[in-house]
Amino acid sequence: MADIGKPAAFDGIGRVRFGAGSLQRLSALLTLFALVIGFGLASSAFLSVNNGLTILLQTSVIGILGIGMTMVIITGGIDLSVGSVLALAGVISGFAVKAGLPVFPAMTLGMLAGAACGLFNGFVITRMRIPPFVATLGMMLIARGLALQLTGATPVSGLGRSFGMLGNGALFRVVEMQQSGFPRVIFPGIPYPAILLAVVAVLIAYILRRRRIGRHIYATGSNEEAARLSGVRTDHTKLYAYTMSGALAGIAGNVLMSRLVTAQPSEGVMYELDAIAAAVIGGASLSGGVGGVGGTLIGAFIIGILRNGLNMSGVSAFIQQIVIGFVVIGAVWIDQIRNRPS
Amino acid sequence: MGATPLVEMIDIEKHFGGIRAVDHVSIDLFPGEVVGLLGHNGAGKSCLMKMLAGAMTPNGGEIRVDGKPVAFGEPNDARAKGIETIFQTLALADHLDAPANLFLGRELTTRFGNLDEAAMMDAARDVLSRLNPNFKNLRDPVSSLSGGQRQVIAIGRAIYFDTKILIMDEPTAALGPSETAMVADLIRQLREEGIGIFLVSHDMHDVFDLCDRVVVMNKGRVVGSNRIDEVTKDDVLSLIIKGELPMDWQPRNLEVTR
Ligand SMILES: Nc1ncnc2c1ncn2[C@@H]1O[C@H](COP(=O)(O)OP(=O)(O)OP(=O)(O)O)[C@@H](O)[C@H]1O
Ligand SMILES: [Mg+2]
Repeated sequence: MADIGKPAAFDGIGRVRFGAGSLQRLSALLTLFALVIGFGLASSAFLSVNNGLTILLQTSVIGILGIGMTMVIITGGIDLSVGSVLALAGVISGFAVKAGLPVFPAMTLGMLAGAACGLFNGFVITRMRIPPFVATLGMMLIARGLALQLTGATPVSGLGRSFGMLGNGALFRVVEMQQSGFPRVIFPGIPYPAILLAVVAVLIAYILRRRRIGRHIYATGSNEEAARLSGVRTDHTKLYAYTMSGALAGIAGNVLMSRLVTAQPSEGVMYELDAIAAAVIGGASLSGGVGGVGGTLIGAFIIGILRNGLNMSGVSAFIQQIVIGFVVIGAVWIDQIRNRPS
Repeated sequence: MGATPLVEMIDIEKHFGGIRAVDHVSIDLFPGEVVGLLGHNGAGKSCLMKMLAGAMTPNGGEIRVDGKPVAFGEPNDARAKGIETIFQTLALADHLDAPANLFLGRELTTRFGNLDEAAMMDAARDVLSRLNPNFKNLRDPVSSLSGGQRQVIAIGRAIYFDTKILIMDEPTAALGPSETAMVADLIRQLREEGIGIFLVSHDMHDVFDLCDRVVVMNKGRVVGSNRIDEVTKDDVLSLIIKGELPMDWQPRNLEVTR
């Protein structure tokens, strides 16, 4: 009985957000398909299983950052620090492994460092009343500076095979030893980063749609004063969103550094822009109150596929930036058309 | 009328920089009483009510509920004492639908702490249809609703919960005649149930129709507090505009009996 009731009501709430972002999400989805078909026609290698896995890997980092960013953007804020926090968290995980900690607790420590950065952001924003743009810009410099200072700007390497598991391993990977002595990959498996992205997406979507704190995140971004008068602890809500964004940046940092099997203090520069672009392409509104995990995932894949496809077609990194710049403007433009009073 | 007032606000002050929004105001409210709060724009009515609602902290003075001093840090503290408020700005989150707004800040949840959307929808349908039988688009974001519908949600939110004291800050400003009449009926009904009501309004007709007492504010101060049968509309107008009663004023009810 309750099980029948819930999805119906869930639909109702879903439709509120669906109505608000549906056109944009639909156009984003169409763009995604068009890109896959276009790049597929342009280069047969694009549609190979291996390239698919590469895209999945690349997208998982942007996706995890973008989902955290989405929570912050829905509250009406912005988090410019995620690229730097990612680097700091990765460095801390690396150091922890170097200090003799096993990989899992070490990476947890890195994630907690990310969460701490996010908590600090939230604190500066809610207690010191500093605008999110400025507060997280500060953290962007602080976290990057810390990462570089701690490492002396040199990568932390020699972290061991197990550190590379998260970034390079895959679930259900089937490898057969051939008679010639060379291994043959029968099934490449599902990369761990992609699984992590899926877990993060489901968890955050659940929090945003089914939990009280999720409702409060939307309310805070929709109308902060109204939310406060209604009894929502808007400061607490914002602290939560920024802390989550920091923690997810920490997770993304672990994924990225694990893939490189090195803790690179200079990794992740400008990743915050990709994360923001993913959220915005996916329908999140920078003025708050609108956005969702599904849309951001689509946005992250659009950026990942654009980067990958343009690479495969031999387009230079500079032109790639130009293209992605136009895509972001186009996405927000569609959003504007949608919101224009008719 | 009961011995202890439901609410006493004693010597309340609120200033913003140099502006004295509320200047040593004392006011009280008894169970089953409707007190009209009038005054020119910017007189300080909303500020006074927000302090009782826990949405604004006073700079001085004391608030007592049921004779006991209280200090509200946030609106939920006031709600815990049975004080519900219809804010002048309505305080609705535009992107959320009617049930989400109705329960904002005190959502119903299931055993596992998930939002109980079905229960909130049922409750919203009940309370809103009581105020406006034509209210059907419950699932639309409230930004797409009419001003009157939005006001109905704000009113519904204040009466759904266990209310002892109701603050209505211009509750009918956006309502049509039939909805306004419905709210008037609602006020009478709540008064019967022993609820105390502060009604902030500019509508002299409504005030004289519904209130037991009128309190008039002028530039942050209380300039008049009278039983409704002591004053005429002209007297109240004079209080609002000039800040004082007409020169030769005496209680009108005594005049009649004389
Ligand atoms: N948050 C605030 N910051 C600064 N000044 C404020 C604030 N809120 C109210 N004021 C000032 O306090 C005074 C009283 O405002 P208030 O909203 O209480 O008036 P009001 O009697 O409700 O008027 P109206 O009939 O227009 O609703 C005004 O001069 C207003 O400018
Ligand atoms: Mg007012």
